[in-house]
Parts: sequence; structure tokens; C-alpha cells
Amino acid sequence: MAENIFRKITQYRNFGLLVGMIILIILGLIITPAMFTMDSIISMLRNNSIYAILAIGMMFVLLTGGIDLSVGSTLALTGVVSSLLMSTNPGIPAVIWVLVSILIGALCGFVNGFLIGKLNMIPMISTLGTMYAFRGLAFLISGGSWLFPHLFTPGYTWYSGGNFLGIYNITWIAIILFILAAIFLSITKPGRRIYAIGTSSESSKVSGINEGNVKILSYTLCGALSGLAGMLYTANHAISFYGMAEGFEMQAIAICILGGVSIVGGKGRIDGIVISTVMMAFISYFISLLPGLSVWQDAIQGGIIIIAVVINIITLKMADKRTLKEKGALI
Amino acid sequence: MDNKNLEIRDLKVKEKFTIKKFLLRWEMILIYILVLINIVLMISKPNLYFEASTIPSIIQSGMDLSFMVLGMIFILMLGDIDVSIASIMILSSMVMGLIMDAGINSVIAVICGIIAGGLCGLFNGILVAKINMPSVIVTIATMSLFRGIVKIVLDVNVLKNFPEVFKTLSWHNLFGFIPLSLICFLIFAVVFSVFLHKSKFGRELYMIGNNKVASKYSGINVEKVKIIAFVSMGVMSAVSAIFFVGRMGGGVSSTMGKGYELEVIAIAVLGGISTSGGKGKVYGPVIATLIMSFLSYTLGLLGVDANTRKIVTGVILIIAVLIPNINKQLFKNIKEFLLSKKINN
Amino acid sequence: MTNYILQLKDVVKKFGGVIALDGAQFQLKKGEVHALMGENGAGKSTFIKVITGIHKPDSGTILLDGKSVSFKSPLDSEKLGIAAIYQHVTAFPDLSVVENIFMGREITTKFHTYDWKAMRKRAKEIIAPLSDRIDVSKPMNTLSVAQQQLVEIAKALSREARILIMDEPTASLTKHECEELYKIVDRLRAQGVSIIFITHKFEDMYRVATRVTVLRDSKYIGTWDVDKISNHDLITAMVGRELDQMYPDKTSTIGEVVLEVKNISKEGYYKNVSFNAKKGEILALTGLVGAGRTEVCQSLFGILTPDSGEILLDKKLINIKSPIDALKMGIGLLPEDRQVQGLINELPIYQNVTAPVLNRFIKKGVLSVDDEMNKSIELCEKIQLKAKNIEETPASLSGGNQQKVVFAKLLNCDLRILILDEPTKGIDVGAKYSIYEIMNELASKGYAIIMVSSEMPEVLGMADRIVVMSSGRVTDSFSTKEATQERILEASLNKKLFEVRGE
Repeated sequence: MAENIFRKITQYRNFGLLVGMIILIILGLIITPAMFTMDSIISMLRNNSIYAILAIGMMFVLLTGGIDLSVGSTLALTGVVSSLLMSTNPGIPAVIWVLVSILIGALCGFVNGFLIGKLNMIPMISTLGTMYAFRGLAFLISGGSWLFPHLFTPGYTWYSGGNFLGIYNITWIAIILFILAAIFLSITKPGRRIYAIGTSSESSKVSGINEGNVKILSYTLCGALSGLAGMLYTANHAISFYGMAEGFEMQAIAICILGGVSIVGGKGRIDGIVISTVMMAFISYFISLLPGLSVWQDAIQGGIIIIAVVINIITLKMADKRTLKEKGALI
Repeated sequence: MDNKNLEIRDLKVKEKFTIKKFLLRWEMILIYILVLINIVLMISKPNLYFEASTIPSIIQSGMDLSFMVLGMIFILMLGDIDVSIASIMILSSMVMGLIMDAGINSVIAVICGIIAGGLCGLFNGILVAKINMPSVIVTIATMSLFRGIVKIVLDVNVLKNFPEVFKTLSWHNLFGFIPLSLICFLIFAVVFSVFLHKSKFGRELYMIGNNKVASKYSGINVEKVKIIAFVSMGVMSAVSAIFFVGRMGGGVSSTMGKGYELEVIAIAVLGGISTSGGKGKVYGPVIATLIMSFLSYTLGLLGVDANTRKIVTGVILIIAVLIPNINKQLFKNIKEFLLSKKINN
Repeated sequence: MTNYILQLKDVVKKFGGVIALDGAQFQLKKGEVHALMGENGAGKSTFIKVITGIHKPDSGTILLDGKSVSFKSPLDSEKLGIAAIYQHVTAFPDLSVVENIFMGREITTKFHTYDWKAMRKRAKEIIAPLSDRIDVSKPMNTLSVAQQQLVEIAKALSREARILIMDEPTASLTKHECEELYKIVDRLRAQGVSIIFITHKFEDMYRVATRVTVLRDSKYIGTWDVDKISNHDLITAMVGRELDQMYPDKTSTIGEVVLEVKNISKEGYYKNVSFNAKKGEILALTGLVGAGRTEVCQSLFGILTPDSGEILLDKKLINIKSPIDALKMGIGLLPEDRQVQGLINELPIYQNVTAPVLNRFIKKGVLSVDDEMNKSIELCEKIQLKAKNIEETPASLSGGNQQKVVFAKLLNCDLRILILDEPTKGIDVGAKYSIYEIMNELASKGYAIIMVSSEMPEVLGMADRIVVMSSGRVTDSFSTKEATQERILEASLNKKLFEVRGE
């Protein structure tokens, strides 16, 4: 009986990743026990929930074999718009701003999706373009000025900073989104279609799946999530300016690749990115605690992606070798 | 056994035939756009336009990243991309600054900076060419990695010790109106042009960009070519660093230069280099560099600030990529539409 | 007549000027297993595609249950109960077996979400009679080829196929897996499914089929009861054609051995392959598609490297690590896929021709385009390339002329050994002759030529010696004087299997 449980655990797809996270936590405990107060962990989760939300959207896009560099800019754009609207209309219930930002984000995502899915642009290039276009829009709309905490209504900031059962709202939202995304990807038709076109464009065509439409959907969803993240980010920090969230797309990509999402599409699971989000959160928290180590953040992030991709490629090569060995047995 | 089947093209005949086509070439259209912008400026702000220092400073404003544009031509020609260039630029300026701080000769500092840039490019090239990682992901990662290294070394410090010649190169005008930086740029452009259009390496770039497999079967060393392209991109980023530092007034910190990669790619694409590889010439991006400088200035005059200009750059990039695609798509859609009508009849 | 579930009458299909099916006839009885045999290029794949609705016949009729049908797309034929299982599985590699089986026809809950539980259950039910070892929750790409095929069969059955077309299902199976497959075919037959079983293996035919139809050169040759026709007659039906294609006279003298291939093996591709290439000789490497010939050629050219074995050039051991090495050593390859491997269609002809030897055209550090063009013209004239001018791109040329460009490229290098992989594939008769002339001339100049070909007449007409491969091994080799079409085919099918019937 225990043996069965042991086998089930080791066969778990993301077992390696889980082990990695546990080792990291143990290291953390040993080196900086101060890290592990309940408060600091909940705080850490609060600040990293944004990355989780962006990573979910990025995952949708990566699954189709594409990429979205504009998530940070979409966040900035929607954050600027919703906080501006909130500050000038303090009487309107904040939930409206949540919806507005999701809508604007979806629109941004739709632009990406259209360029990539219908006009067949290369995702790298087109999202590079929209990355700057959206941020520029954020600047235009904000007039370059900042919005400071006193202009934020409590109803607005509640969405991120409110507390329920000891955990911040923004973290709850991230958790709910993880669950919804998992459901979407595992048992809905459009969700499964995303995997289908990512794993085989040819077979998808034969099966009558409209690849362009599926791509449009995935980029739109990514945009919507980035939009939500925009509102939540500004709610979290009670600050808004056009230049915020620079480099967040990197973080999202890192989380996805570390979490086992394949760059070429078709492969990836929510539980993987849950674990990698937590890992990355610990790593950055770690770094911020150790004196003099915070400057290592960027370099480490870049290094992680490279290592993760190399591992990705090695795994693919090993699978190929296995297939050849099989064919070899027949000769 | 019919010898008349083959003729070298009759030069005279071809020329007459293609003057029309020549005038409609993408690069020529770029020249028209450049001229147009100049005319608009001339008419709307004649005092400013004809002032001695205006045109030179407009041109100079675009010269710092112009060198990276040249390097990007090779990368895009292969069908790859490099978004780590701004980070390489900052890293090599850091190397130069540090060596100067250590009191070492400025010439050596520059050489070390260039080598540093080349090494960064080598790192990129090896990951892309030998380990077969997609250049998108590699350079996104190294973008963080290289800038991260600068952050680690510099922390919040600012390097201020740079050779005076940097400022001269960036600001001095020959005979009072020809920017030195422009001359340097054009010299490099000529070198790149010779390499791209007349050398074996350039021919190999075109071949690999159009058909990597057939190039391999034809005995071309694809790995070597790719690595050289990425190394030269790194070197050109280091060259850009010289002018960048010169323009900034000789101070370098780890947060500078962000966003340059977009402009560089946008200029190269605007200049007619196809993002899928194998198409384009050097003089297109050269003209595009000038167009961007003039465009920036014009927008600035209209009260558009630096950040909004980024939108414009982003939009230009998208449009520049779309135009050749749209033509193809449009034709395809029209064909399909006509075909479906035929079947239904 | 009403006994027949499927009938084809005088079906003709052309592609451009090439006739792929020339008046095909076929009758499939309900509940029978009917074998379809023929060489490569005989028309079998077009035959299948016409039945499954991928191609529309130019003329002739298809009758399903006695009624004439016309398919506008593969989905139409699927709805009428026709399913095909191909060698190259059109699956979703990262998705599970369950999902592959149900793609497009998922079982959903009342909320329109996937009912995985029901699908898993049903998938297990469908798979069970076919295999007890497939875990339906695992991704397709973790399954062996044999298992993937079984999943495809399960998929077809789940769509209630009444007619199942199996395209060389035993090609990648072990003996044991073949046995399992035969049992499944038996069971399907018992359930009333009618099966068209395309195969090269006589063993398959004897074991499962009651009747066999032979196609040759796109024509319908005949249909026989399996137990009423001898092996010999069957082979004659498959290859017994008049050898009337003209081949140019050979005037070369065969010299000493230049290349020795000794026992090279590469896991998953070929094993213990040995042969020699002599100066002035044309050696044909033949066999069925998938026998490993192209991979052997690629190994001689540095695209692949053998895991073991030796290659000797002029009695010296050589290591070919890349095409650059191969070309330097004098070995050149005319690749199988002209468009993807042989030519860069976007660049002018002369640039294609000078690609491997650009160093030769460098004057004072830059490429001399004039020299390039002159040399290219010289080479192209030698092989009578028909093009408007040397700056055209190969895309506008005919197949034969495109191939000539690749030849010109090879002639530009200093080569001693030429490997030609299907040099006349997709080329019309007139151009073929022209290429044969080039080959003969090269042989008489002392080149050692290794020609991969699946066309038997070509092999018999051009080669001095023939090496036959089957399933990754060399099964026979003999001089052309000793060769007959039958002998070649037997070797291609791997003679061992003839022992089944004791003939």
C-alpha cells in the first residue's frame, strides 16, 4: 500500500520540480530562518501573485507555440486606465474597474491574436511591436504623471490588499485563476484545442480545427489576464504610472519555462507553473533578504531560463533516441 | 545541343525594362519618404531647418544605435533575432568604463569593450548555433543575464570615466556641418555592404536565410556563419556603446538604454530586411535610420514626447512587417474567393 | 453485384500531365479482407486517396453498397463509414490516447465540458480487444509505432467504420506484433468489417486475405483468389512489363574500387550495410521506400553518421562528419527532395550552382559574379539546361531542368563519387533520357556513381551492378546481367518470407 503511494508520487509528472522547490525551501530555512514567519510568507505570496496571473496568460500563448512580449505593457496600460478612471470617479464601485481592465486587456490581446492568427505575423516580432505600442499608449493616457496612494479608493485597493482568512485577496484571485485555468485547459473544448494546435498543426487541420481562431482566443485570454493584473497591480501598490511592470514578461516566461511549458507548444500543465511560481517567489525573496544579493536578480533570471531551455532540449533529444532504439530493434 | 538557350542577360535590355521597377523598389520608397519628411520640415519650420546646427544634430541623434542596426541586418538575414543588444551595449560600456577607472590606456579600454561585446555575441551564437535553441528565447534570457551582470558589478554606481574622444565622435561636425558620427556610420555601412553583397559570407547569409537545409547540403558551414553573425552583432553593440556613452555625456549606469532593441529591429525591418530571413540590402536600413531620426525630431517638434514616440516605433515595426504579408494575404484571399465562386456555380 | 460493399469502375485520376490511376477496377466483398499489392508508384496511394475522398476522380464511378457516391472531402467518406489507417500516423503526439481517439467527437457533459471519465472508459473498451498493454491516459508519443497504429484502428472503429483501409500496417511491426495484428484483423472480419489490406509482404497476404488485387504502373492488372495464384505469377503480375524505355548506350570501362562501405550500422535506420563503388560503374541501390537507402546515402554524405562500421576511400579509412567533409573528399549527393534539400528556390540559378565552391570565385577578396555566371553557363550548357537566363530562379523551371541545376552544382565540385537519390523522380520521360545521358557521360569520365532508385526498369537499364535493401539491411547484390525484375522484387520483399509457403 505504501509502495503504491510511493510509486504514484514519483511518477507524478512534475516530481522533479516539486523536489527542487522543497530543497529550495529547506535551504532557505537553514540560511535565513527569518524568512519563514507566517507574515513574511503571506507577504511574499501577495507580491508574487501578479506574476502568477501573467504566467497563466503566457502559458496559454506558449502552448500554441507562440510568445507574448506585451504582457507587461498591457498591464501598464490597463493599470493606468483603471486607476485614472477610479481616481476621477471615486463613487463608482470598484468592481466596474475590474471589468474595465479585463476588457481593455482582452482588446489588447485581441490585437495580438489578430496580427498573429489571421495576418500570420511572427509572434516574436508582432508582440515586440505591441509591447512598445501599448506602453506608449499608457504614457499618453497618463500624461506621464503618477497616481499616488491618496488618490486610491479603499474599495479599489481592497481587491488586492483585502484580507480573507489571513491571505490577501490578490493571492486568492491568483488561486482562483489557477483553478479556472486548469479547468479550462483540461475539460473545455477551446482549452483542448489550444493543446491540439500546439502539438500538431497538421493534424489539427485534418481534424477541422481552425488554428487562427484558437490563436486569437489564446492571445485574447492572455491579454484579459494581463488586464486584470494591471488593475490588481495598481491596487496592490496603490500607485500607478506608465512605466510600471517593466520586465514582467521576462518573469512570466521564466515561470512558464521553469514550470515545464514547452517553447514549441503543446506541452505544459498548470500544476507545473504553480510550483515554479512559488519557486521563483522564494528565489527572489531569498535574494532580497541576503545583503548584496538583490543585484543578482536579473542575471539569475536569465540564467534560469537558459538552463531550463537546455534541459527542455535535452529531454526532447532523449525521447528521439528512444524512438530510434525502438525502430532499431526491428531491423 | 542548342547553345542559344542561355544568354547572360543583355544589360541594355534589362535596364530599360526595369527603370519602372527600380523606382518602385522598397529602398527607393524609403528615399521618397525621407525626402518627403525633409520637405515637410523645410516648409513648416524654415528658420529651424536652415539653421546650421539643426540637420547635423538630427542626424547625430540617431547615430548611436545605427551601428547596431548594421549588425542586426546579418542576424535578421539568417532568420534569427537578437534582443539582447541593449544589454550587450551597456555591458561593454561598463567594461570600458571600469578599465578607464583602473587608469589603463583608453585605447586598451575600447578594445576590451569591443572584445566583451564579441564574447557576449559568441555566447548567444553558441547557444543558437550549436545547441539549437531558438534565438528568441536565448536572447531574451541573455538580455536579462548581461544586464544582470552589469547590475551586479555596478550596483547603483555610475561610471563617469570615459575617453574624451567618445564625446568628440558623437558631437563633432566636420567642416561644421557633417557629423563625424555619420561618417563613421557610413564607413561601417560600406564595409557591411561589401560583406553582405560581395563576400562569400554575405552570400552564405542569403542562402541560409532562404533555405537552411539546402545550404547545409551544399556544403555551407551553417554553424560557423551563425556564430560569426552573432559575434559581429555583439561587436557592433560595443561600437554603439562608444557613441551612446558619448551622447549621454559620459555617464553609464545599469538601467540605461532599455528599449533600444525595439528601435534597432524596427529600423532594420523598415529598411526592408525580412524577419523570416534571406531578403534585404544594406542601404535600406541606412536610409531607415535617417528616416527614424527625422521622424523622431519631427514628432518632438509636434510636442510628442519620447515615450509616445515609442508607440510610433512599435506601430511602424508592425506595419513594416505587415505590408509585404498583406499583399500576399490579399492575393490569396481574392484567389480563394474567386475559386469558391467558381465551384458554387 | 449486391454482394459488393465497395466498387470502383474505370476510375481515372491525373495530376497535371501525369496519370496516377489509369482505369482502376476494384470490388470489395462485404466482410472480406482484400489485399492490394504493387510496387512503389504503382498507384496504391492514389487509389486510397480516391476512396477516402482526399482526391476526386477525373472519371469513373465509385459505388458504395451499390449506390454511386461522390466525396467532396475526407469527412464525407468518414461519415459513410470509410476509414483509413496510414503509416505516418496523423496524431497529436503530446495528447493522450483517449484524446486522440475522440478528437472531434468528444463525449461531453451537459455543461459542454469534456467527460474524461466516460471517454476514458469508452477508450479502454475500444482498445481492450486490440491490446491489453496500452495505457489510454498516456501521451501518444510514448507509445510504440505498433501501439500507435492500434490506437488509429481503435479510432476508426469508434467511428463505426464499415470499410477499413490499412496502408502497410505491418511495415514497422515485430513478428510478434504482426501476429497480434493478424488476430485483430480476424476479429474485425468476424464483426463484419470489410478490409483493404495494402502490403508488400506476402506473408501478410497469405495470413489474412482471401483475394488480392495487383496494380502496376497506375493500371489495374487483375484480381485473384489468394490460394489460387502462385508466388511466381503474382510477382510477374507486379513487375511483368515490357522494358521498352530506351536507355542510352554505356561506354565506360569499370575501374578499381574507390569506395568501400563495410558493415555500417545506424540504430533505427540500417544495419550491417556493405557494398563497394568502382570507378566508371553505376551501382543501383534499390528496394522499397523505407528500406533505408536514403539514410545510407546521407551517411556517406555526412548528414548522418553511422554508429559503427567503416568507410574506406582509396583503401584509407575516412570519417565523414558533415557535407563539407564529404565534398572535400570528393563525395557528392544529389538529394532526394529537390525542393527542400537540393535547391534554394529564391536565389538565381548561378548562385545555386556555385554554392559549394564559392571560394573559387573570390578575386581580390570579393565574389566575382561575372566568373560565377560564366562558369555556371558553361556547366549548364554542358548538360543542356533549358532556361531563359542564368539569373532566373529555379522555381520557374521544369522538374527535369531543376534537377539539372543540382547536377550542375555537383559538377562544379571536384568529385569522384556521385550519389544520386532518385535522380529521375517526378521528371517526364524526355527529360529522364537526358539525365540518363548525363549519368553515362559522367561514368565514362571515371566517376563512381551510386544511384538510388525505386523504378525497376531504370535500375535494369542503367546500372552495372545492383544492391537491394529491405528493412534496413542489404538482402541481395548481383550484376545486372544476372538480374531480373522478379529477383529484385523478391529481394526487396525480403526472401525469407517466402519460406512461409515453402516455395
